[in-house]
Amino acid sequence: MTRYRPAPEVGVIDQDDAVYVARLPEGPVVVLAGTAAVVWRAACDPGEGTVADRAARSVDQDSTTIAPAVDGFLADLVERGLLAPGAD
Amino acid sequence: MPAEVVERIPPGVRLEMSRAGVQIMANRIGVRLLHIKGAMTDPALGPRIEGTDVDVMVDPADIPRLHRALLAGSWTVYSTFRNNSSFEHAQTYFHPDWGHLDLHRRFPGIRIADDRAFALLWAGHGVSSAAGVPCAVPSFAAQAVLLTLNAARAAFPGSAAERIWDALDGPARKDCLALVERLDAQVAFAAARGDLERYAHRREYLLWKVTSQGGTRTQDWLGRVRAAPTLGARARLVLRAPLVNTERLGHKLGHAPGAAEIAREFVVRTSRGARELGRAAVARMRPGADRSRRTASAPVSAAADPEPAERGGG
Repeated sequence: MTRYRPAPEVGVIDQDDAVYVARLPEGPVVVLAGTAAVVWRAACDPGEGTVADRAARSVDQDSTTIAPAVDGFLADLVERGLLAPGAD
Repeated sequence: MPAEVVERIPPGVRLEMSRAGVQIMANRIGVRLLHIKGAMTDPALGPRIEGTDVDVMVDPADIPRLHRALLAGSWTVYSTFRNNSSFEHAQTYFHPDWGHLDLHRRFPGIRIADDRAFALLWAGHGVSSAAGVPCAVPSFAAQAVLLTLNAARAAFPGSAAERIWDALDGPARKDCLALVERLDAQVAFAAARGDLERYAHRREYLLWKVTSQGGTRTQDWLGRVRAAPTLGARARLVLRAPLVNTERLGHKLGHAPGAAEIAREFVVRTSRGARELGRAAVARMRPGADRSRRTASAPVSAAADPEPAERGGG
């Protein structure tokens, strides 16, 4: 899976250096800062390649190096109900 | 939500999430609501003032269902319709994570029935977004009307009302005035725009004179009695006048008021009312005093009055 979208009933606010996401109306608000924000944006970005590829371009890293951490983080966001797999 | 996480969330983010959460809650139970004021205002009507709470106007028929859903979602009633403001237009809820929510069943200044007013405002509504969640908002003209009516209860209504009016082009002004007419909101609208004297013959004239220009609590109360649409509503206002607003007193004290505190406040309220009535009687008896009904009970400026009426919240 190379593309994701916010899960239904999830609020997203991308502001300054952070992305704030919350399952609504229950919450809580989860703050994604730094690399976490980069991965969220890359996951929801309709660009080419894998999420790790797109994130790597933003942090100037090799995608194969960061891929395991990115995939693990994405799985965590999906498990929390914040992110859902989207159409390729 | 852990405290350390809450502290990192900017107030504006929390408010926007709260707004989106209320919308999702309403969607789940099929409740129609309109997001009004604050950040949901069309930017063409002036700078968006974020505010500190979420404001929604709810289909009156849906209020009981939304109320139950809010309580089930850990919201508590902070202030009831009856005690929130003298207009009794909004009920305030509080949630430890999401803050305050003002649930409006009507908007001060609108005289037609609540259900008809909501239907008019719902017709032609638009959609805005909060945290990516689509939220229903009133039409541009309806927003202009509501903001103007809201300005009538502000400290300097004229400047805000003129700013809103200046933001409207010819067709939008026509739509705005037509809606004011259909909502029977001409008096409050005129009060906001400094044109209240045109409506000196209307029963709600004194209420909006006091609301927009200031006055004593007694004048405010008299204005409400005169403006009440039915005899029953007038009787209710008269009977409630000396009663203590225990919710407001509790918020002032920081704890639920005890019997002695309520009794003390009761004495303060009745003494204050008696003093104001006494001063008004003396003023009427002074040689040269204008004894016309309207002038005799016309408000004095808030600055000159030691006990100005409280402005309605929400």
